[in-house]
Amino acid sequence: MDKAEQQPTKIVIALLSLLLPGLGQVLQRDWKRGLSVFLAIATALATVTWYGKRGWYIAVIFLWLWNVWDALKMPRGAPVVLAVLLWLGMAYGIGWQVTQVNPMALFTNTERAQSIIRPMLQPDFFTARKEKHEGWVEVQVPCSATPPRAEKTVEEIHIRVQPDCGNLNETLIVTADGLWPSAPTEITWMTPIGDVKLLGPGNNQMLVVETDNEGRLSAVIQVPGSALAAAPDPTLPLPHRVYLTQTRPIGGMTLSTNGQYVIRGIYETLALALLSTLIGAIMAIPLGFMAARNLMGGHPLLVGVYVVVRTVLNIVRSIESLILAIIFVIIVGLGPFPGMLALAIHTTAALGKLYSEVIEAIDPGPIEAIRATGANNLQVIRYAVIPQIIPPFTALTIYRWDINVRSSTIIGFVGGGGIGFFLYQWILIGDFRAVSASFIAIAAVVMILDFFSAKLRERLV
Amino acid sequence: MLRVEHLTKVYPNGTVALRDISFEVSDGEFLVVIGLSGSGKSTLLRCINRLIEPTSGKIYWNDIDITNASPSEVRRIRRQIGMIFQQFNLVKRSSVLTNVLSGRLGYANPWLSLLGVWPAEDRQKALRALERVGIADKANQRADTLSGGQQQRVGIARALMQDPRLLLADEPVASLDPVLAHSILQYLEQLNKEGVTIICSLHFLDLVHRYATRVIGLKDGVKVFDGLPTEIDRARFKEIYGEEAQEVRAASL
Repeated sequence: MDKAEQQPTKIVIALLSLLLPGLGQVLQRDWKRGLSVFLAIATALATVTWYGKRGWYIAVIFLWLWNVWDALKMPRGAPVVLAVLLWLGMAYGIGWQVTQVNPMALFTNTERAQSIIRPMLQPDFFTARKEKHEGWVEVQVPCSATPPRAEKTVEEIHIRVQPDCGNLNETLIVTADGLWPSAPTEITWMTPIGDVKLLGPGNNQMLVVETDNEGRLSAVIQVPGSALAAAPDPTLPLPHRVYLTQTRPIGGMTLSTNGQYVIRGIYETLALALLSTLIGAIMAIPLGFMAARNLMGGHPLLVGVYVVVRTVLNIVRSIESLILAIIFVIIVGLGPFPGMLALAIHTTAALGKLYSEVIEAIDPGPIEAIRATGANNLQVIRYAVIPQIIPPFTALTIYRWDINVRSSTIIGFVGGGGIGFFLYQWILIGDFRAVSASFIAIAAVVMILDFFSAKLRERLV
Repeated sequence: MLRVEHLTKVYPNGTVALRDISFEVSDGEFLVVIGLSGSGKSTLLRCINRLIEPTSGKIYWNDIDITNASPSEVRRIRRQIGMIFQQFNLVKRSSVLTNVLSGRLGYANPWLSLLGVWPAEDRQKALRALERVGIADKANQRADTLSGGQQQRVGIARALMQDPRLLLADEPVASLDPVLAHSILQYLEQLNKEGVTIICSLHFLDLVHRYATRVIGLKDGVKVFDGLPTEIDRARFKEIYGEEAQEVRAASL
């Protein structure tokens, strides 16, 4: 008789499960299993619907069928592993497609990769020390009725340009003597507003001419077509300059221009990290005391302060300093200052929490002992509390400085100053030699700081 | 003379640590308080210098009511009552000398002491105290570099700085091995002979027999024994420590 009665029940259960996943399990009093099944199928359905590729509905259908099977097999149920594998397979599959995983892209773009990696292997940090030999002469563009004579001697370099003036794209002949013999000489054009134009082929390469063995040179140049591009009145004759520049190494190395920027950026980064750590630490000390459970017990007002300070610290701590930096850049403008503010606030919250934990962990024994000698409250703090908290406070603060140096390199990316600011500019203009120099400098500074802060903290704790 | 009258301490969580305790201690006594852990020994000692506020009852010291003293009076009373602890309670990261000097805080100029400036005579006194307990050579070491026995001697030196007339010792040797226990208690005995009243809680009964001039037994916060150490026989022992107790002799360890 059992069989006869169970048969329709099973069908009902199967139908109900088919209608609403998990219902069959719930009807058999396993509401936890029912809810899990329902949630698994609901999330799978939602994900596939959101992603919009119909093929993935197969996974949902199989899950749905598994649910019916499971309901029928209650109380033992169907193998859960199958459902989990189905669900994970769908999640991973969609995840793979959503993140556009394309490992081949790592290898198909070798040309682009090379254009970055090759310059990065030659970091622009040092450059050979060079000596410069330069002369110039003024040439009128466009021509007036009586152009001044285009001839000049600067530091023994005598230059003559003929004719004395020129219009756009006209040919000029440059002759010079007094240059270093048998040496490459760069010829460039400078407009009255200081724009430098290249004179080589296509006006985008440097024109380089070798001097003869007596230091003489002659070359044919064209007035660059863009020489008047920025002139307020292109018909007004103005003096443009033709520069002849020779350089030669004089032995030894020196910081390159970008190298100097790297040094400046690193210095700025260290300074802004140091200042933000100091300001943060000073603000964190009172907050740390207010967030220490062992000090803030008893009176309801104290407990209230404790809860509020703790909550605020936790909220502020969870805001990435990069986001704070973006906000401060908008408020106070670009530069190290907004970065410093962002880091100082994040440091305050982070150190406040850590300080409070130090205070919560102090040993009450010495406090009791000092109080027993007849000391007043200030003396108890000075002799029993401060000696216990100063070393860990210092260690935590140094560690925070460490973190802040690393963070401040990134903060520069959003305009928060320091090496990161330069780095970001270099990435934008594609100067990967400078990028690589700043990478090396950042790595070196972080490693050195890491080492010393670890040593210092070891001695303190 | 110390007089304790109907002393009761109930903690905020409802634990009754002391229940109507009364006794007197004459000057020059070496009073040992015995009892199981949690019997109220530590609470009793801490009520005497008001590290713990009694719930009710009175404590008089040379007819001054300690229980009613104002905070500044309490500090003046405390500076004449030395205290040493089971866990030594030294400031581990400070030097031995600083730990000893801090015993003088009740007498020192409050502002100079906050700056860490100590008069030369206090420094001399601290060195003498360290000499007396035999560790003058450790004066400039950090306190946590010392062994347990040495740390307790620093604790004694710190108490000596107070020129105490009463010394409270809360299980001073419970964290030390038996040989060290004797050396520490001998310092207390010596002090006692110089006229310092000692109230000391102890675990080992043979130490009680060896050093105490009088014994008080506590059980669950109630005074169950008050008499000479020689009066503690088997029956008394069971009364204080419970039927299950077996006497352990420190010397036999």
